[in-house]
Amino acid sequence: MRVVRALAIGFCGLALTACATAPATPEMLANNDPYETTNRDTLKFNGKIDRYFVIPTVALYFVLVPEGGRRSVHRFLENLSLPTTFVNDMLQGELKRGSQTASRFLVNTTIGFGGFLDPASRMKIPDHGEDFGQTLAVWGTQEGSYLMLPFLGPSNPRDAFGLAADIGLDPTTYIHFEQHIWWDAGREYFTILDLRAQTYQTVQGIQRSSVDYYASLRSLYRQLRDNEIRNGRPSKAEDLPDF
Amino acid sequence: MRTYPISRRAFVAMSSAFTANLLLVMPAMAAANPAEDFVQDNIHKGLELLNNKQLPADQRRAQFETFLLGLTDMKRIADFTLGQYRRSASPADLAAFEGAFQNYAVAVYQSYFAKYAGQTLKVTGSQTRAPDDFIVATQLVDPNDKSGQQPLEVDFRVRTDSGKPVVVDFSVAGIWLALEERDQFTAFLGQNNGNIHTLNSHLSELAKQFRNS
Repeated sequence: MRVVRALAIGFCGLALTACATAPATPEMLANNDPYETTNRDTLKFNGKIDRYFVIPTVALYFVLVPEGGRRSVHRFLENLSLPTTFVNDMLQGELKRGSQTASRFLVNTTIGFGGFLDPASRMKIPDHGEDFGQTLAVWGTQEGSYLMLPFLGPSNPRDAFGLAADIGLDPTTYIHFEQHIWWDAGREYFTILDLRAQTYQTVQGIQRSSVDYYASLRSLYRQLRDNEIRNGRPSKAEDLPDF
Repeated sequence: MRTYPISRRAFVAMSSAFTANLLLVMPAMAAANPAEDFVQDNIHKGLELLNNKQLPADQRRAQFETFLLGLTDMKRIADFTLGQYRRSASPADLAAFEGAFQNYAVAVYQSYFAKYAGQTLKVTGSQTRAPDDFIVATQLVDPNDKSGQQPLEVDFRVRTDSGKPVVVDFSVAGIWLALEERDQFTAFLGQNNGNIHTLNSHLSELAKQFRNS
């Protein structure tokens, strides 16, 4: 299941590139978004999937699972992703952050009952995310053109490749047990559900305040990723535009 | 969620920006400067204003608007957000846009800052980009937060070239708002043959929706 997803991600990127037949305008090129026409169509498609399939499921999730339960599901899924975060911390040479990730995993997996509870935060062990897209950026790989991936949202070739690579870096990918397909499917399902539940209000807020929702998402994605790659360290003053 | 490029933390940050660690010392970290004092005094004042529940909502809104307009250089921000379209805009179009932008920005900024009413602001340092251009780093601390999460980082860009300090942009968790607005507006204009009137109408409509919500 997870390997299928990794292949699907790669396919989506390739398909998007191949489908982008509309000529790029100077504005598109200036925004490093030569596939803007296709990307905007993909955003509309994603919006329909979200509206007709994802949001109703999220609504049901809110009705059936109380807030405490949803929080536990979120923590559990986050804990599962820590081994991948740890590998990326190490690949980036971030030893301190790596030790924090390892500590969080150990504490939350044991006295946090598999990650359903979060005693690590109470112990002031900070939480952070890391992925292979960020690792590639730290290694000097450029992001490439902006992409809006079907089902997955804003991305770029570097992050799309990183997303697929993270599945390969995740130790649970290699744990095979009887009927593991149900485990994989369940994890994917709850990951999507949790992500959308967490971001429901945020996305609504962006949609409500945007003059151009597509351009807003593109700008937010780039700035957020840049901040994540810097691990929250302040951007250099000289990188900011003249005002 | 870490499995996706935009992580849960990123969305929390985005949420903060729209609803809005200095672990390392910044390279050009300077001693306290006028920009830091300006931010510390004024933003705290703004948060107090929004937190003043004794004032009727309309009055609070009006006072915050006056406060915000005194604190920021809206004309400069508006001109920046037009990007390349500013050069080709007629003076009349530019003036109309600056008015529409101010109306929109006050409605939207008020909505952002209202989320942080009751929190306290701590200046943690600043960078000097030019002798009259500063980036002041702050942390918003929620005294009621028991989650153990890191405080929210908010940076303010302060220019002093006009004689008095003014805020020209701010960032929440690394997202600079005027940059994001410029990206939106120029994309919108690109989709609408560069028609600034269409953008003005759209901004007015959005401002109305924000004020009525």
